[in-house]
Amino acid sequence: MKTYILKRLLLMIPTLLGVTMVTYFIVRLAPGDPIEAMIRNQSGNIDPRAMKESADKIRERLGLIEYHFLRDPLFGTEKSWAQKPAGAWFWCADAADKVASAAVGYVNWGRRLAVGDFGESIKFRSSEGSRNPLLLLKERIPVTGTLNIIAEVLIFVIAMPVGFAAARYQGRWFDRASSFVLLALYSIPVILAGTVLIGYLGKGGSGWHLFPVANLHSFGYEKFGWGGYIADLLWHTALPVICLVYGGFAYLAKMGRASLLENLRADYVRTARAKGLPEEQVIYRHALRNSLLPMITMMVLAIPSLIGGSVIVETIFSIQGTGLLLVDAAKCYDLALLMAETLLYGVMTLLFLLIGDILYAWADPRVRYE
Amino acid sequence: MSSVQPTTDPLLAARSRSYGAIVWRQLSRRTTAMVSLAVIFVLALVAVLAPFIAGEVPILWIEKGEISFPIFHYLTNLEYAGMLAFVLALLLPVTARLVRPGAERAADSPLARAVLIHAAICAAVLLALVVLRTEERRYGFYLERAAQAETAWFPLVPTPRYPGYDSLPLRDNPPSWQHPLGTDRMGQDVLLLILYGARTAMTIGFVAVGIGSGIGVVLGSVSGYFGGWIDLLMMRITEIFMFIPRIVLIIIILAVKPSGLSDLWSVVVVLGLTGWTDPYRYMRAELLRIRGEDYITAARALGIPTWRLLLRHAVPNGMAPILVGATFGIAGAVFLEASLAFLNLVQTPSWGELLNDGRQHLGTWWAWGAAGAAIFITVLVYNLLGEAVRDAIDPKLKI
Repeated sequence: MKTYILKRLLLMIPTLLGVTMVTYFIVRLAPGDPIEAMIRNQSGNIDPRAMKESADKIRERLGLIEYHFLRDPLFGTEKSWAQKPAGAWFWCADAADKVASAAVGYVNWGRRLAVGDFGESIKFRSSEGSRNPLLLLKERIPVTGTLNIIAEVLIFVIAMPVGFAAARYQGRWFDRASSFVLLALYSIPVILAGTVLIGYLGKGGSGWHLFPVANLHSFGYEKFGWGGYIADLLWHTALPVICLVYGGFAYLAKMGRASLLENLRADYVRTARAKGLPEEQVIYRHALRNSLLPMITMMVLAIPSLIGGSVIVETIFSIQGTGLLLVDAAKCYDLALLMAETLLYGVMTLLFLLIGDILYAWADPRVRYE
Repeated sequence: MSSVQPTTDPLLAARSRSYGAIVWRQLSRRTTAMVSLAVIFVLALVAVLAPFIAGEVPILWIEKGEISFPIFHYLTNLEYAGMLAFVLALLLPVTARLVRPGAERAADSPLARAVLIHAAICAAVLLALVVLRTEERRYGFYLERAAQAETAWFPLVPTPRYPGYDSLPLRDNPPSWQHPLGTDRMGQDVLLLILYGARTAMTIGFVAVGIGSGIGVVLGSVSGYFGGWIDLLMMRITEIFMFIPRIVLIIIILAVKPSGLSDLWSVVVVLGLTGWTDPYRYMRAELLRIRGEDYITAARALGIPTWRLLLRHAVPNGMAPILVGATFGIAGAVFLEASLAFLNLVQTPSWGELLNDGRQHLGTWWAWGAAGAAIFITVLVYNLLGEAVRDAIDPKLKI
């Protein structure tokens, strides 16, 4: 088992290299103009002529003034966009130049990463004023983590009984009704739920001002004590957690149903029934326990997709988590921060996949990895 | 001289039904599947006919005895192609029946032939339109001049598509006979916005998922059939794309795309190019199973070239999970597109944009409510259909 885990950990390295390389090259080589992207990010979508004018103005200015955005070492040796000659003839040379400089930039990034240097964010500062992406992420991870842990627990606690009950009464009204209701819940767009919840239940909306809609803690939460702290946290996270949770039921409940059904058809259940055990005991003592185990693995494997889903929820509720940071970083072309985020998401996904596989082997002695 | 008589045994004849026909029979027994298909049909119809349902350009216009049909000038080439594609999609069974004798002689699938023929017709017409017809949208202020015409047939809901800034009385009107779903804060008719949003959603759903599934099928079948180092390499590449958060790719590309490129088509391309990993995995798994089957060995022994073997025998038999995955994929793409518009990352007429307006203007519940309901119904319908197709094909399919 130890060798297996070690092997998996080592295999993660080339995958992560690939993930970061693809992201880096896409950011660097994506069609379009980073200067235009910058303008669009600052003043929204303006009409093409005004866009061209202000972009030209910036380019002209950049020829004179030094600008940290273009001088960032992560961008490699590329000549600044300001001096790029226009015209179709230069396209080929230009493209080759771009690829070469992107390659240099990527190697630079890797070399700096090897000594623990993540570069500097162009736009964002941590609360201590540092531009280090690592420190920025360190501030944001607990926020996203808290949200997702609460959501995971709730999904598990609600979806499992529903799924198992649906399997227990397979084909009856509860089974059919629950499957339809769960699918309908799954189909409610998060953006609709978020709008309605903020608008009618959130403070500052136009309904009952029940829940706060920004931050995870009240002012001065340090003095609340243990119970007060939890209550305060739950009060603040209630709306975003609802948004994260309701769509997750359907999938997990379906898995729970399938898992229990599979066990109910197994030979050992038939044996238990043949022994004359009461039905309750057959289900709760024998089948249910066995079908709970794979569910734990499913939960672990679902974490990465849940974190991906929290990007939208964090943006709607303006929660300062990693997801919102990711959207902001992508919008203003913050390469160092984007790379750190990509690495974080990649490592998280791969780690949870590994943990899921290990748990699977631990829960089911028939599974062996060699 | 003796010739082999074709079997006339009714039992045998009844049994030789195509795979598609069996699945269709299973599907048509399910109420949810049929209802879902009907709703999808209506959505597609409404999306295709949007300018005829709500808008400002009349279908028929008679002024001073002069008869004109302004809407046919107003429609773009792509809109014509879309209408043709819709009609041709409905006619697929007819064409399939027409080409059946030829297809059966060549041991080919009639439906596949019909699809190819129709795609060719559609592409040819679009090409001809682009070459021969100059597009120019003629607005002509027909609504304002309605009194001058002897006869004017407007769309069902006559309403300006882009009301000017002097349209204060039109703003934030609740539903009325004139505007069945009310108007939004810019004075635009909500029904019109919903219709054009349906166009966006349908285009994104079908085209983006089509591109993604296409790439996935090609790569997956090659990878699964040949195995070896090709498979190993492709698996690694797919893994890389699986672990890059899709939303990151989409946001980056949308953030730096040239402002001249249309938002709709860049979203379609981005969603298509990032959505191939799931179809790839399904197809690869299917082909790993199929390549060991007897009929593949038999076909190979007959000396059929590999491309033909893949195209005609292996890939069609592995399409089931792709079909199910694509149905769920459309639901996901509609979701994602609405979210992108909601986050203001794209500027297309979209349901997500209406919902985003609702964030600031909660009072206009008719606008964001209609958009939310439209997304919900579309996504629900595709999810229901996906479940039904999966149950019809194979309930044990793990998608």
